[in-house]
Amino acid sequence: MIGRGPRLRRATVVLILALVSLPVADHAQEWPREGPPAPLAARPVVVPPYQIRTLANGLQVVVVLQHEQPSVAFRLIVRAGAVQEPAGRPGVASLVATLLNQGTSTRSAEAIATEIDSAGGVIGVGSGSELTFVNGAVIKDRTDLALGLAADIVEHPAFAPEEIELQRRQVLSSLQVAYDDPEYIANAVLDRLVFGEHPYGRPDLGTPTSIARITRDDLVAFHRQWFVPNNALLAIVGDLTADEAFAAAERAFGGWRRGDVPAIPPTTPPPPARRIVVIDRPGSAQTEIRVGILGLSRGHPDYLALELATRILGGEGANRLFGVLRTQNALTYGAGADLHAFKSSGEIVAETNTRTATTVEALKLVIGEFARLPRDPINPDELRGAEDFITGHYPLLIESSGAIAEEVIAHLFFGQALSEIDTYLERVTRTTPAMVQRVAREVIKPGQLSVVLVGSASAFEPQLRAAGFLDYELIKLADLDLDSPTLRRATSGVR
Amino acid sequence: MTTLDNGLQVVFLEDHSTPIVHLAMWYHVGSKDEKPGRTGFAHLFEHLMFKGSKNVAPDEHPSAIASLGGESNAETDEDTTVYWETVPVQHLPLVLWLEADRMASLDVSEEKFRAELEVVKEERRMRFENPPFGLLPELIYDRAFTTHPYKHQTIGSMRDLEAASIADVRAFHDTYYVPNNATAVLVGDFDTPQARALVEKYLGRVPRGRPVPRDIPSEPPHTTETRATVTQPWPLAAVVVSYHITRDGDPDAYPLHILAKILSDGDSSRLYRSLVYQKQVALAVDGAAKLIEHPNLFYTVAIVPNGTQPSTVLAALQAEIDRVASDGVTAEELNRAKRQFARDYILNRETVRDKALQLGHAVVIHNDIRTADGEFDLFQNVTQDDVTRVARKYFVPGSRMVLTILPGPANGTAQ
Repeated sequence: MIGRGPRLRRATVVLILALVSLPVADHAQEWPREGPPAPLAARPVVVPPYQIRTLANGLQVVVVLQHEQPSVAFRLIVRAGAVQEPAGRPGVASLVATLLNQGTSTRSAEAIATEIDSAGGVIGVGSGSELTFVNGAVIKDRTDLALGLAADIVEHPAFAPEEIELQRRQVLSSLQVAYDDPEYIANAVLDRLVFGEHPYGRPDLGTPTSIARITRDDLVAFHRQWFVPNNALLAIVGDLTADEAFAAAERAFGGWRRGDVPAIPPTTPPPPARRIVVIDRPGSAQTEIRVGILGLSRGHPDYLALELATRILGGEGANRLFGVLRTQNALTYGAGADLHAFKSSGEIVAETNTRTATTVEALKLVIGEFARLPRDPINPDELRGAEDFITGHYPLLIESSGAIAEEVIAHLFFGQALSEIDTYLERVTRTTPAMVQRVAREVIKPGQLSVVLVGSASAFEPQLRAAGFLDYELIKLADLDLDSPTLRRATSGVR
Repeated sequence: MTTLDNGLQVVFLEDHSTPIVHLAMWYHVGSKDEKPGRTGFAHLFEHLMFKGSKNVAPDEHPSAIASLGGESNAETDEDTTVYWETVPVQHLPLVLWLEADRMASLDVSEEKFRAELEVVKEERRMRFENPPFGLLPELIYDRAFTTHPYKHQTIGSMRDLEAASIADVRAFHDTYYVPNNATAVLVGDFDTPQARALVEKYLGRVPRGRPVPRDIPSEPPHTTETRATVTQPWPLAAVVVSYHITRDGDPDAYPLHILAKILSDGDSSRLYRSLVYQKQVALAVDGAAKLIEHPNLFYTVAIVPNGTQPSTVLAALQAEIDRVASDGVTAEELNRAKRQFARDYILNRETVRDKALQLGHAVVIHNDIRTADGEFDLFQNVTQDDVTRVARKYFVPGSRMVLTILPGPANGTAQ
């Protein structure tokens, strides 16, 4: 498929090699033919311990110690994201997060920046489908300063009108760039297809329309409602003793006042429906390809089996997609699949990109691998490859104390028993091909896949039709509206 | 640290915090060693190192590592190519054996070579051609340099990639992939005597190669300013001001790094505060001193929001550069930059891979392993006068390039 005139080329190369490669040939003759060496004795893996305490105001604090470097890292999670946004106000969570470090009742935006930079620290803020986070790291002699700053920005953001307007303009400009970024567009459109109108389908940054509409009152109300300690989790990882870390958490966050948190009845996304959307971005050097389907929630009993199925499709240790798209056919630089799991649902997303001319060839291979997963028996060696990667990778994973903290905080966030962390590897190795097969059949319905192609549409549309994809929706990039069920900007005639 | 009979330099650092080991094989060859018409070859070659050797089938190397739960990859830059593996420590013999096999007996078929060429072309499209602003480094360096191979990007041009042949592969391997051009860095939960014996056993038997050529043309001094306006199909305009500076390891390098932090690290930095926050003329701004093996650039870039004239942003950018050269920096700014440097120093030495990266860089680029730790004091000893002095020395109009990129057709020229 790839070698244009391979016969001629090969003959030429043989001739050249005969002339130039003598020294290499010498090495090759001396170099022994042999198999790989046996491993040494394995060394014991000691999992770093963690401790959890809940402050009087309800803030759950996880502490993991590391004594390699004189630093302290932290992550604060508030259960407030797109899911918690009021009706008609998508983008509020994202704009609240953006404004957290842009001034508090006692500190200006410039003062916050100067304090954290002068301390030798960093603070980052952001939001997702069901959470807002404040992350940071600092040299350990300024732990109190950094945690105190983090507490101030989550408790007392000022939402000053001039800061709102500056950040609104910044977000709108960023979206202008994002809407020309084929990766961003492909991901955002696929989430909308898989999750439909469910908040999990909303773009994390909001949309130009939604960001323009948000008022200061929206921001203040969202913050007041959700940003309370009994709706938050804090992880501290650092070169401290556990008592020092908990005491630092108490000093910084102990004064944060508890509040009532409204219960949000969990909603599930609409059932999957096949939809193929082509976003026309003329002049693209490649087509971004996404294929996805609804998966399972993080707490679902079959989550682990689906995680392994997804790894076989496109993860480390197996990765059929990489094998077929890159290794065998050289159609792409990267190909893989991920399971994005939330509290009440999840999605499997396969992604790759390829030059325009091979768009449909690559798409057919991706869809083919999705279809093969539930159809053909799972090869035990493939499953073992995925399992071996997970178990072998464990000592690499726990090299970073932050990874343990992430695991603990994720279990608390999703309401999973912490004992699951200890039994994880055992449960992985107990998973059989039959279990993976059953879950793959229940979840992956090849007739219901969502497909997004972002690229130079006119160049690949004929191939798309020839391959039998007749029911695709073609949307010009300039007409894309992620707020609309049709994904198309309303044609008002006024622009 | 030790040097084997075949010329291979080896660095050992025991780290018993986790039962894993990291091996980094540094080859002192990068895109600055490429000849005209062969840009992108060092990186293409890096891909081919995974395509089979005498005892290892094509693509078997990464899959063998993954099946152990390990990680492996490689990176090519202007100066070096680094191959690395992190695995549970009992597999140290395997990673040494794998690296030795491909150093001694790389064997790539024409078919694999042609296929990998397509993969690298996809990488160029994915990283540089398709995303907005992806071609910015290429636009900057192609204009800022006239002679030195830093003029071209490590990914190379499509035309040169197309022209590469498997004969080039053989010659490149013969010339640069020899133990006397390599440094092995091992960090992890091993006992050094045992690790040393394993390194001797596997890497020690690779025969020494010929001396490595270092015939890299140097960049002549720049004495007149370069100005250009071009177009690219990007959503927003961008402006660039760059200056030629010195190399990594030069005494001026340390105050230049500090200067870059004062101008551009964090929301309290001068460029962010002035252009993004106060004047509100830029969506984003970045400034960096690219200090690598040979003299490179100090560059500043600003992204221009709609409704703002690029010339306004350029003027604001230039005003901040001129101000630091004329007025110097404050004691408070210097202390802040040093704290930020200390933070980076700490956070960049957490994992075995981080630690190996610092050691490899010290040995290969500085030719002095002591700099891996010694640079901390060099940075902490930088004075206000040092920073002002380098700002005045390097921020001079003659070595300046001013580039404006407006939204428009690809590779168009305006003005």
